[in-house]
Amino acid sequence: MESLLSLFPNPEDNFPLIAVILGLPLMGALINGIFGKRLGPEGVRTMALSAVGGSFLASLAAFLLLYARVQQASASLSEGAAVPHVKFVWNAWRWLALETTSIDVVFAIDSLSATMMLVVTGVGGLIHLYSTGYMAGDPSYHRFFAYLNLFIFSMLVLILGDNLPILFVGWEGVGLCSYLLIGFWFEADKNASAGKKAFITNRIGDFGLLFAMAMILHTTGSLSWAGIEARAPELFNELQIWPIGVAPSWLPAFLTSPVVVNYATLIGLALFLGCAGKSAQIPLYVWLPDAMAGPTPVSALIHAATMVTAGVYLVARMSFVFVLSPTAMMVVAGVGAFTALFAATIGLVQHDIKKVLAYSTVSQLGFMFMGVGVGAFASGMFHVVTHAFFKACLFLGAGSVIHAMHARIHDTDASQDMRNMGGLRKYMPKTYWTYMAATAAIIGLPLTAGFFSKDDILFRAFVNRIQPSGLLKDLAIRNAVQKAGAPLSDEAREAVVQGLHIPEWFSTAVFVVGVTAAILTAFYMLRTVFLTFFGDFRGWRIVPGWKNDDHDHDHHASHAHDEPIDGPVPHESPWAMWVPLVVLAFFALFAGWVNAGPFHLTAFSHWLEPSMQSGLKMVTTIKQGDELTHLEHLLLIPGVLAFLIGSGAAYWVYYVKKGEPARQAAQSAGGLYRLVLDKWRIDELYEATVLGAFHSLAETAALFDKWVIDGVLARLTTIVIQSFGSLFRAFQTGRVQMYAAVMVVGLFATGAYLLTAHGEVVVTKDEAGGMYIVEAAPGLGYKYRWDRDGDGVWDNPQLEQDETWTLLQKVQVQVPPGQETKVRVEVQNAFKMTKIREIVLRRPLPDKSRPDPVGMNVPIEVMP
Amino acid sequence: MNSALGSLIDLWPALVAGAFGAFVPKRPSWWERAGVGLIAALLAMFVMWMWPGAEQQQVAGEWPHLLNVLIGLPLIGSFFILFMPRQSPRVLRGLTLGILLVDLLASLWLLQVPMSTGWHFVYVHEWIPAFGIRYHVAVDGISLWLVLLTTFITPIAAYVTFGSIKTRIKDLCFSFLFLQAAMIGAFVALDLFLFYVFWELMLIPMYLMIGVWGSQDRIKAALKFFLYTMAGSVLMLAAMLYLVYTYSQLTGEVSFSLLALNKVLLPQQAQLLCFWAFAIAFFIKVPMFPVHTWLPDAHVQAPTGGSIILAAILLKMGTYAYLRFAMGLFPWAAGTQAANLAGVAVLGGIIYGALCSWKQDDFKRLVAYSSVAHLGYVMLGLFANTHTSTQGALLQMVNHGVSTGALFLLVGVIYDRRHTREISEFGGLAKVMPVYAAVFLVVTMASVGVPGTNGFVGEFMVIMGTYTSPYLGKFHWVDAAVAAFGVILAAVYMLSVVQKVFFGPLKNPKNAHLPDLNVREGIALVPLVIMIFVIGLFPSVFLSRSSQSVSDFHTRNRLVWNESQAANPEPRLLTNDILAGSLSGSSRDELMKRLEALDGQEPGRKPDDKGSKDETLAIQEESK
Repeated sequence: MESLLSLFPNPEDNFPLIAVILGLPLMGALINGIFGKRLGPEGVRTMALSAVGGSFLASLAAFLLLYARVQQASASLSEGAAVPHVKFVWNAWRWLALETTSIDVVFAIDSLSATMMLVVTGVGGLIHLYSTGYMAGDPSYHRFFAYLNLFIFSMLVLILGDNLPILFVGWEGVGLCSYLLIGFWFEADKNASAGKKAFITNRIGDFGLLFAMAMILHTTGSLSWAGIEARAPELFNELQIWPIGVAPSWLPAFLTSPVVVNYATLIGLALFLGCAGKSAQIPLYVWLPDAMAGPTPVSALIHAATMVTAGVYLVARMSFVFVLSPTAMMVVAGVGAFTALFAATIGLVQHDIKKVLAYSTVSQLGFMFMGVGVGAFASGMFHVVTHAFFKACLFLGAGSVIHAMHARIHDTDASQDMRNMGGLRKYMPKTYWTYMAATAAIIGLPLTAGFFSKDDILFRAFVNRIQPSGLLKDLAIRNAVQKAGAPLSDEAREAVVQGLHIPEWFSTAVFVVGVTAAILTAFYMLRTVFLTFFGDFRGWRIVPGWKNDDHDHDHHASHAHDEPIDGPVPHESPWAMWVPLVVLAFFALFAGWVNAGPFHLTAFSHWLEPSMQSGLKMVTTIKQGDELTHLEHLLLIPGVLAFLIGSGAAYWVYYVKKGEPARQAAQSAGGLYRLVLDKWRIDELYEATVLGAFHSLAETAALFDKWVIDGVLARLTTIVIQSFGSLFRAFQTGRVQMYAAVMVVGLFATGAYLLTAHGEVVVTKDEAGGMYIVEAAPGLGYKYRWDRDGDGVWDNPQLEQDETWTLLQKVQVQVPPGQETKVRVEVQNAFKMTKIREIVLRRPLPDKSRPDPVGMNVPIEVMP
Repeated sequence: MNSALGSLIDLWPALVAGAFGAFVPKRPSWWERAGVGLIAALLAMFVMWMWPGAEQQQVAGEWPHLLNVLIGLPLIGSFFILFMPRQSPRVLRGLTLGILLVDLLASLWLLQVPMSTGWHFVYVHEWIPAFGIRYHVAVDGISLWLVLLTTFITPIAAYVTFGSIKTRIKDLCFSFLFLQAAMIGAFVALDLFLFYVFWELMLIPMYLMIGVWGSQDRIKAALKFFLYTMAGSVLMLAAMLYLVYTYSQLTGEVSFSLLALNKVLLPQQAQLLCFWAFAIAFFIKVPMFPVHTWLPDAHVQAPTGGSIILAAILLKMGTYAYLRFAMGLFPWAAGTQAANLAGVAVLGGIIYGALCSWKQDDFKRLVAYSSVAHLGYVMLGLFANTHTSTQGALLQMVNHGVSTGALFLLVGVIYDRRHTREISEFGGLAKVMPVYAAVFLVVTMASVGVPGTNGFVGEFMVIMGTYTSPYLGKFHWVDAAVAAFGVILAAVYMLSVVQKVFFGPLKNPKNAHLPDLNVREGIALVPLVIMIFVIGLFPSVFLSRSSQSVSDFHTRNRLVWNESQAANPEPRLLTNDILAGSLSGSSRDELMKRLEALDGQEPGRKPDDKGSKDETLAIQEESK
């Protein structure tokens, strides 16, 4: 350790070990991607594994260094003082310079990112190892590992990036890898579509993130964590989001009443849109279940353990922004809780084992958002870590099962259908035991990792309160004063401040929803266990092509009379696949002890605390000290009860009664059952509304372009020009008589024009100065006389009438504001023909309502 | 010996890149290995050399004839080609490529000089003294990268075209060279008349390219392209003449020089009219909604090389000229119209272009509409008119040149093999053409704007700059939001076409045996693909060169805006003294120095000119 420390004398400023952590996976991706085919499977495997393994070792070293540094720093502190936020930074290069700030390609390791980094490289490494077995024999072996390494690299960029744009690079990078890996077997249109769906849904979230960046840059002038944090009070600026510009007066008043929102809320919501996209929360969760089209290790790594938790990481990372807005926090917690419940209901009835796990992931992510949404950032992150272990283990276990099934049924869908499984306990004991361990963790068997992390979230949801910051209170009072038009009484002020607090019932509701979701989790997870590993193996009875004959899955039992067909027996997977399972199962069972709240073991929370200090300042609990501990012990009861009820019910339904009650329930509530089986038909709803709208909008645009712009506008221009052409062609006949006639007409017209006097005038206005210049048209031998004051008498009345004619062609008139003056001019041409013209000059009052459109008194910019 | 070794060691990234590049091609073609390796090494050297803060080898001066060479070499070359025998296409092609490559190398010299305030590589020569028309060329940070983009893209376009077009090689070579000269000329001209000449000259070779080597409907498309552009330029010419006339009324001398004419402050109404006359000409070229429909037609009919140049460079002519001339000459008018125009750029460009693109069946038409969307970002950045957004727009011009150029090249590849552009004809190509699919995916990601590629940096800067822009009124955040929304649509249309063409089963038996990229296509794509990442990862290399010029441009723009705010019924002449206004002290001195540098040298003007000018003014006064 000492020698490591001496290698990096000043890690707070320059910590190039990060380059190794990031560089190895990138190198692996490049080499496997470009030279993979020439390297052969052996070379690809070596390259991929050593890249991730090396990255893991470097991460471990960095973690230990950071730990040592934190110990050093906190050793000298007095009792009770906050542990300083130690951060190892590596600044690679200057990416780009904006007006107010410059964005560097800079990476940092602090307690939060170090934790995530270990999870990503550690779990990622195990899954790489697993994949070497799972993907063996695939013709695109090298491509798979190139993508997988690229994913690890992007995920590390996301975690280690020290500013929002670099995080965004990783954020979109993992999205890209997810796209590539979901559509890895691109020959099937279904897989390619699922990849596209994932990418586009993620992009909707990325839109939120991009827009949030613009708002943050506008308000704080910075995009780095430290910079935003330092200028966080600026986030209380307000933006009028409705009406935009000036509302037309004919709109009813309720449509034009201004809506003003402070930036903290807007940014919080926009960021959360990004999180909802990446972490599959309502309303953007729809891509994750489809994403199971990818190879199973990908589902484990990207769509369970790491990428989908990026949203939780972002909320924790930007906790200091979220806590400024109770509204945003409420949305995060509320959406999280609702998603946890909603996804769990779908998980109850799915037949595809990966689909169940996918909805379980969505549901567990909901739990995490519930945690960070109530200000329990450490609890949310703890669940991220434990979930990475047990859900990766579950997915890999499912992969192992599918691997075994696939050897028997060469059909991707059929080999994932739990109705074809059963009794696999006998054939693949290692898979069974590890799957059981991970299930125990996710359903909250007391003392497993999942038990501690889930109960911590539920407990915090019950006790935590977000305090509105002083600035927010001031702002709300100011707005209320403005609205009332008079100073407020003390009670009224108190009421306004109270309105900023999250209502009391909300915490209770979140808690109750959370416990309900936990019951469902226990039920559907044990359902997968009983259907997969217990009972008799139903795979014997599968006929090839069974899927084609009937789509109504309930009729599947009709195949029961089919003879068992011969074929390979399900078998245990090779060591490369079960070793990761064992390691993950171990952590799923025992990792909880690093943050076992009820036993006063809070190492994990303490470790993360420095990274979220300013966010945590706004979070209080309803009870303090010993009372809080008592409450914590008390609140273990609902959690344990949820586990007991859920698993007991599953045991009774699927083990004791062999699933009979479930079948009866499905039959008696057929409509509801089908609705849930079809995932509440949310995909169809989106298809019919948003997607449909965009499709028809695009169709309209394409047709408009073709028929209106090109068809009408362009053709109209052509027709106009053509008709002029044909008109003028009629004059160019070559007949002299025609020319002579035209010439005569022309001569007469010219003569008539010359004979009449033309009194056209041009008025130049200067409304600000009140000076108007009236200029009459010039002409051959023209004379003018003026009546500048409009009294009906020509100027210079002392002269004779004939002498008032002058050559004065232009006069100036000064008009006072809000008044008008009449100016007359008479024009006389060389033939003594005259014409009188009257002009009314009206000078409007200065318009104060329209301010200077641009504040142009900005100091002149000088660029460095 | 030691120093040679030392410099070799210093160049290690280039050597590594070269070695890496040389290993990339799979087939045993040494020509390809050497080419790819060399391109990779050269581009790595380019980045090292351009690295901000890297030790610059300062060249003593600016060779005033450099721009003349850049324009003259292809121009003379094109005439030389006319006297060469048609029967030796190899010689013709070699000569053309040679000239274009020499031009590329020569243009790199522009990078030797830091783009400080003012004009660089200025060359002024009287052309038609009676009308004050001069041959006045110069670059600054704004035109620098566009000139380099031209010299970078044209050789690639020519090289690719030589692979697929086998007829009328002599005429083709002439077109390429002539086009190159006209394009560079238009980017560097500082005399309005000269600019107009180059602007119109560009039309001729492009017209020929579409009309001679295009596909079925080529004549109609070529005519449409020509007429649209021409109609706009006529308006521009009228406004130009009015401006020159006003200038001559004010000063008593005629000049077409941009630097002289931007001293004229027109009355607001006149300024608006002239602005629109210029702006419409440029909007057609960009193209902006609703005058964009010539673009899909021209792209669909043009041969691959023509499409590449059209998308990569000719469209930039519109955006560049809008910035340089419409905004430079009429800052007030441009500023007052910015909010509305930004609405058009966002809705008519980014959203509408993307939606249209989504529903196209023709591959090239799809890419053409995506250009409309991309250029919406560029125009939005220009309208927003902040330092960040303008820099972003400039970078986005280069980005679009690289990535859309590459897209057209890639579409050309399958067109050459299948002679169809119908998207429905393809499907599952990733199976038979894996390298092609991989490259296409990379370029798609650049076009979609995935971070790490060039597309992201430009869009990011434009959106950030738009949000903070004071010119867009209350709509600044709406514009930014809709522009950010555009990135979703970009993903929608590009990924849809990628899925239709590359993924899924191989349905069409005609596609079963398509050959993958050949050596020529590979070599042509390599620099584009590398540039996608170079710009995406090291945008500072590019932005640092244009930063100062953009900042100066904005400073001057704001000062003129301040002057235009007050009503002025008569046109008047702005001097730097007026512009500096109430500033005093050292900041005034500094500002004056910058403004004078922007005025450039005015050779040939005698000090007593001022007296005679006063005299003419006096005479005019008397006559009234």
